[in-house]
Amino acid sequence: MHAQSAKLKPHPAEIATLLRGETKTISAWSECWSVQRFALHVGVIILGAGFYGGAMGWWRDPQQAFYVAVKFPLIILLTTAGNALINAMLAPLLGLNIPFRQSCSAILMSFTAAAAILGAFSPVMAFMIWNAPPMSPQAVSGPAYSLIKLTHVGVIAFAGATGNARLFQLLARMGGSRAIALRVLFVWLAGNLFLGSQLSWILRPFIGSPTLPVEFFRAAALHGNFYENVFRSFLQIFQAD
Amino acid sequence: MNDQNPVPPQIPPQIPPSLQGSRSPGDDPYERVAIPNVFAAIESILRQPRRLMFQLRQPGAGKLIAAMVFVSIVCSLIYGVLAGTFSGGTQLWAAPVKITLGLMISAAICLPSLYIFTCLSGSQARLLEVCGLLAGLLMLMTMLLIGFAPVVWIFSQSTESIAWMGALHLIFWIIATFFGLRFLQTGFSHSNARSLAGFKTWVIIFLLVAVQMTTALRPILGTSENFLPREKKFFLTHWGDCMTVTNSLSK
Repeated sequence: MHAQSAKLKPHPAEIATLLRGETKTISAWSECWSVQRFALHVGVIILGAGFYGGAMGWWRDPQQAFYVAVKFPLIILLTTAGNALINAMLAPLLGLNIPFRQSCSAILMSFTAAAAILGAFSPVMAFMIWNAPPMSPQAVSGPAYSLIKLTHVGVIAFAGATGNARLFQLLARMGGSRAIALRVLFVWLAGNLFLGSQLSWILRPFIGSPTLPVEFFRAAALHGNFYENVFRSFLQIFQAD
Repeated sequence: MNDQNPVPPQIPPQIPPSLQGSRSPGDDPYERVAIPNVFAAIESILRQPRRLMFQLRQPGAGKLIAAMVFVSIVCSLIYGVLAGTFSGGTQLWAAPVKITLGLMISAAICLPSLYIFTCLSGSQARLLEVCGLLAGLLMLMTMLLIGFAPVVWIFSQSTESIAWMGALHLIFWIIATFFGLRFLQTGFSHSNARSLAGFKTWVIIFLLVAVQMTTALRPILGTSENFLPREKKFFLTHWGDCMTVTNSLSK
């Protein structure tokens, strides 16, 4: 009994439990709401994604590093908050009858796992940036820029995939069915990607550009949206032919 | 001695096949718990839709239906205000009024045909129960739209394209309507209906009416000097016109 309550008490070391995907314990956490645990997860997101964002922006300028360190966790937290209501409504409609807090907690925990991974990779990324030539128009057109970009894509994809794998395991345990878990995960993922992409678009730049000033928002942050831009790019490809 | 006129074996009367599963609303004790207020109705439609369906068959279901219509009106007004933030100005009050009115009028226009199709399908549902199921459709739809509201607001602040915002609202409306219609279909299936053909026909009618309503009450996203349009248009023509204007502006 004592061991059980100790397991439910929030502790920074529980991030390891989250990463290991010990669904029995994680499911118990999500069932009993705790402000301390919520603060712990938000803290890990701020630190993990913040450090990674810092490493990302550092190549352009230390000020850019600070901006991205603020923006990266902000995207995660705003996406979680913005989709909280619709995600909580869709879960029972798709067969997973969990309360609002539990659905928010599950999503937050998956982002926490992803942010912890990002945070762990931030020294590696910082080392890579430290070894890269200074950001200049020549460097941006060279192999260093491509390598840095691809490494970011790889690390973020790994963190995201792991976070979602853990979320899937948790949902399967909560719902008792892999089919339901897959359905809910797919819908939540689609919603989060949809909003997350737009928030990233508004909060650009991240890596930065040597020809543009260092700034928190671009002047045209709220002009147009991510999907319009993708659509226009497609049109340009076909019109060029 | 052989019996020349044997008594035919007794065949049990055939039960007409219905679409409902083995369990019907009210089979579980928790589904029999009354729905005392609006919040319980919201909770029920998301988590225990069968409880709501059972309560719609009980005496005094009128209050529950009124509560569901009330939630639908409030939710569509809130969503309308958010839709109106795209253009601002008079649209902040015109869009919510038009969205709410459009939704309620569409439901009222389609209610008689839903009842007729329900009867033709062999369903035992009374008119009040059909009203309740339709109110449930509206409530679930508008609640889901509220869930999408933060996303709508973010996009309405970051784009100037009416075609894009129109498409976004349409996608969210389709998702919300899908879940609303799924609730209605479940209710329909539990009312001893023998076939879903009538229901499916009604769904097409409802979708066409609702989509045409957005054109009849235009502009909902854009701006105009008049509250209602002077020119009559079919929705496909209107969408085509919007796309043409957007393309010419982007060029």
